[in-house]
Amino acid sequence: MNIDEIFDYTSFTIDREPHIVLDKDVCAGCDQRGCVNCCPARCYTWSEAEGKMTFVHDGCLECGTCYVVCQRNAFSRWNYPRGGYGVAYRMT
Amino acid sequence: MKREFQAIVVGAGPAGSSAALTMARAGLDVALIERGTFPGEKNMFGGLLHRMTSIEEVFPDFWSRAPLERHIAKKGTTFMTGEASFNVQHETVNFDRTPYNGYTVFRPRFDRWLAEEAVSAGATLLNRSTVEDVVIRNGKIAGVTIAGRKGEISAPVIVAADGVLSFTAKKAGLRKPQFSPDQMAVGVKALFDMPKEVIDDRFGLVRNQGFANEYVGCTGGVRGGGFLYTNYDTISVGIVVHISSLRDSGKTPYDLLNDFLAQPQFTKLLRGGRLQEYSAHVIPEGGYAMIPELYGDGILVAGDAAALCNATGVNLEGINLASHSGILAARTIIDAHERKDFSRSTLKRYKERLDLSWVMQDLKGFKNAPKMLHIERIYNEYPELVCSMMEHIYRIDGTPKTSIPKLMLREAREKVGLKNVLSDLFTAWRAL
Repeated sequence: MNIDEIFDYTSFTIDREPHIVLDKDVCAGCDQRGCVNCCPARCYTWSEAEGKMTFVHDGCLECGTCYVVCQRNAFSRWNYPRGGYGVAYRMT
Repeated sequence: MKREFQAIVVGAGPAGSSAALTMARAGLDVALIERGTFPGEKNMFGGLLHRMTSIEEVFPDFWSRAPLERHIAKKGTTFMTGEASFNVQHETVNFDRTPYNGYTVFRPRFDRWLAEEAVSAGATLLNRSTVEDVVIRNGKIAGVTIAGRKGEISAPVIVAADGVLSFTAKKAGLRKPQFSPDQMAVGVKALFDMPKEVIDDRFGLVRNQGFANEYVGCTGGVRGGGFLYTNYDTISVGIVVHISSLRDSGKTPYDLLNDFLAQPQFTKLLRGGRLQEYSAHVIPEGGYAMIPELYGDGILVAGDAAALCNATGVNLEGINLASHSGILAARTIIDAHERKDFSRSTLKRYKERLDLSWVMQDLKGFKNAPKMLHIERIYNEYPELVCSMMEHIYRIDGTPKTSIPKLMLREAREKVGLKNVLSDLFTAWRAL
């Protein structure tokens, strides 16, 4: 199971607008960053050099882990994708 | 489009569709709102649909009617280390005849079927509709709004069956704004295809018999476990780990999953299988202690949204509790319509019904299970202890054998410490 190949296994209808938006200042001041290792789809990456957290919504499985693990409420938006968008399971 | 209903159900999963089905059969005009393009598209779980007695009351021929993969005739538990494993299995003819004790299912098929049954009974299914907000008028729930659409869908009462994060319950002020990572787990799953005959031979099955196995000690010391379930011609394998423990470990769920899949005794079971799908979801594992407010003026909360999940370490039940809670919520709403009163004082009957049912009795009965499942030693030391003890018992190496009781004491002292064993036994005794 290579997480880089997630789009080969799991289907997504990707919206232009992300359904999750981070408050980058909160992330920059966070020393836990559980989102980075806990996200099952590796949507979060932390750049030590830039002191910046990046979230890419494309492969988001809408599982809710980041919402639970983040205790700083760093989300200026955490919605499920609007109807018809996001992950589309076939047989799980 | 019609916009006024007698009840709205948010989420067409097992809780929501059971609620909509029950209300529609009683003649209520009910809207079932689903954010996927069809019910089940967004839903994943390990793979075990436990027996749903309350759905069997509606469909006495459930097992020939619902889209099921296999019925579970054989269950197993494996204590695992990186190099060894010790298996315990149970099988009975009683689980091989109707009414079956449980099944494997695919959620995009099963959830869709249950929602379609609700539609056949008269419910209105609204797909591709993500609820944006809860409309509150004069302190009472009056309906919901849908993201990207104008206007509202109104009803005097709604059921929040929108899953573990339940933003509907949050907006109605029924759940805490923040969850504790100590009470939540994340499950990740890989689905492999495999010809039916290979599955039958490999796991000792015939006809539509299925096998469900749980694993302890396969999660790199992170609190959690693994699973393997046989579907008709695919197998589901995955791990479930506590989010706080995963966070502290710094490990990723997919690396843990890959390590599990690569364990020598496990990897043999997957031989020839091709990965078909990867999925993940949060599971409410806090048990009785994390149940939110279950009702308010014009609102009831059911299923995962109400944290009705019973993780005892032996079984991980959720879908059956969800369905039953949905049915009890529906019955309460049917009564409320007769009284034309949707206030808290009428809807509290839902909680009374739940308290009297096996759902709450089980959750109360196992309310200490989460504490037991927080014993770190379960996930490393004990599987090590079991496997090493068995190896000593079986090993022939030209030295005199130690008696088994002596061996047990020695291994327990070395690997865990006798005081810890006693305290853990006490915790487990209270939990189970």
